Amino acid sequence: MRPLAFALPAVAALAVLAFISLLVGVSDVSVATIVRLFSHNEDDLATQVLVASRVPRTLALLLAGSAMAVAGLLMQMLARNHYVEPSTMGTAESAGMGMLVGVLLWPDMPVFAKMGLAAVFALAGTALFLAVLSRIRLRAALIVPLVGLVLSGVIESATTFIAYRFDLMQTARSWMTADFSAIVQGRYELLWLSLVVTVVAMVAADRFTVAGMGQDFATNLGLNYKRLVAQGVAVVSVVTASVIVTVGIIPFVGLIVPNLVRLVVGDNVRKSVLWVAWAGALMALVCDLIGRLVIAPYEVPIGTVMGVIGSAMFLALLLARRKRMGG
Amino acid sequence: MSRFALSSSGTSTFSVNRRQSLLQLGALVTLPWAAGSALAQQSFTVQQSNGAVQIPVKPKTILVFDMAALDCLRALGAQVKGVPEVVKFPQVLEQYASKDYTRIGSLFEPNYEVVKGLNPDVIVAGGRSAAKVPELSKIAPTLDLTVNNAKPVESAFKHLKILGQMVGAEAKADELIAAMQADIDKLKGLTAGKGTGLMVMTNGGKLSAYGPGSRFGMLHDVYGIAPANKDIQVAGHGQAISFEFILKTNPDWLFVLDRDAAIGREGASASKLLDNPLVNATKAARKKQIVYLNSANWYLLGNASPGSLHDDVTQLINAFSQA
Repeated sequence: MRPLAFALPAVAALAVLAFISLLVGVSDVSVATIVRLFSHNEDDLATQVLVASRVPRTLALLLAGSAMAVAGLLMQMLARNHYVEPSTMGTAESAGMGMLVGVLLWPDMPVFAKMGLAAVFALAGTALFLAVLSRIRLRAALIVPLVGLVLSGVIESATTFIAYRFDLMQTARSWMTADFSAIVQGRYELLWLSLVVTVVAMVAADRFTVAGMGQDFATNLGLNYKRLVAQGVAVVSVVTASVIVTVGIIPFVGLIVPNLVRLVVGDNVRKSVLWVAWAGALMALVCDLIGRLVIAPYEVPIGTVMGVIGSAMFLALLLARRKRMGG
Repeated sequence: MSRFALSSSGTSTFSVNRRQSLLQLGALVTLPWAAGSALAQQSFTVQQSNGAVQIPVKPKTILVFDMAALDCLRALGAQVKGVPEVVKFPQVLEQYASKDYTRIGSLFEPNYEVVKGLNPDVIVAGGRSAAKVPELSKIAPTLDLTVNNAKPVESAFKHLKILGQMVGAEAKADELIAAMQADIDKLKGLTAGKGTGLMVMTNGGKLSAYGPGSRFGMLHDVYGIAPANKDIQVAGHGQAISFEFILKTNPDWLFVLDRDAAIGREGASASKLLDNPLVNATKAARKKQIVYLNSANWYLLGNASPGSLHDDVTQLINAFSQA
């Protein structure tokens, strides 16, 4: 595969989708509005909508989609399993529990503190997952995600129980399902942090590739495996927390995107990480567009759309793999 | 000794039986709205969606799950024994935060052990607890006072009448109904020609819209505020919308229910959420006609009771008389 030959059309496709995303919404924003924004500064209503609502939303989608996909890729290397991602191994659910605890103890918490708390919980949840995993001997491909699903189920039930007791079920639901409808200027900027973290993951890509080969292999190559895992978990936790605080849990992106990319590019993180980020952004854009269009002028949350499309894609992926393996 | 015990128990059984049959006779004779009947009323029949229920008159132990019904009983001057556990009682119901009232479960889920242990004469449920009426009916006669969103005011009046009859305060009930109607009429007289309105609820930083016929549809259907968008479909938690939807709808009045505040958890407040360029460009914002409703009243009592309706209509009367 020659990367450059594919890179140009890929960037073009993403740009076109992002452009369409700018045009779709309740208010009227036309191509002319966008042109006007770049040519001369006019302060009409359509331009305001574009600047205050459309651009932030599109940026938020690009950032959150790519960050969640990269987080999934990292987690798959660290857990040495292709079927895990932040929302199937307790990271996202733990971050959600952190949000709930924040709402209970300190409702007026500034958004950074909220994210910090969510990240600490996410760290703890991910660490718990890896600890449980290290004690399991039988690491067959499907056992690992099953352990993760059981663990996230337990954490989510605990969160639900607390929310139920304190009459916060609907508040909790507002971050359990991702939704970009309330994204405006000033309410998405936290996601830039996830971009920083994603870039860090890109820089450290080679190390994560080695980590994906296991502790013994990594240690033999002179890497501090434990520290690397801790760093990876921190990256995943911060990304997940920033996305959940801003829009809520986005399911499936981190699971499906790295797997699809892996089918084409292979297991080398350095080669695949940019493609994973690209495809994650693309998938987020498409799902959000669908959600905005099907019952316009109202919206279907992206979490719901992603759940439907993602589970179908995941099934297809599993079946395709079985076929390839001759099962 | 044993003979005495036997005969004594026999007598008491007989007398209970006789009283019961008299009760049943009374119930048969008494028709639902047969006020002024010469017979002393022991109970009366209320037709509900799940069939007829016999409600005792002047019951001693009343347990209430529905907040609007609780406000009705408060206004009627009736004593209740048990109330649901809520994070924070709405202002009109503050007195029930006292420990004198037994907590009988949440707004949604009765604590059946406590309910049974109190040996109630009547249970008043509805709305959030409506699904539990069949189960509660096994413990004691249970009123289902769920508000009919298509006719919120008629519902409220009907419920007030039933409760008035139950606690023997029919005259007071009629008085309260007249006062509520007067409040509504006054507001109606002010809203005509003052522009369109849109009702939104904020919840955990997200927005949903409500229109005519919905649980907050009385703004349009009863109080006469012209809807800025007639097509908002009715759904329990409204339709998920974006800020762009508010701008496009461009109402003269924006009514905001901060759900987080309604349940006593004031987080990032609704006013902070709505202070953005899109909302600020609407007619409502420019005319300073964004009304933050008393969330607890609207959300928990739904204006279906004398206290909440008076407070809420008064707030709107004040807003509209300044416009």
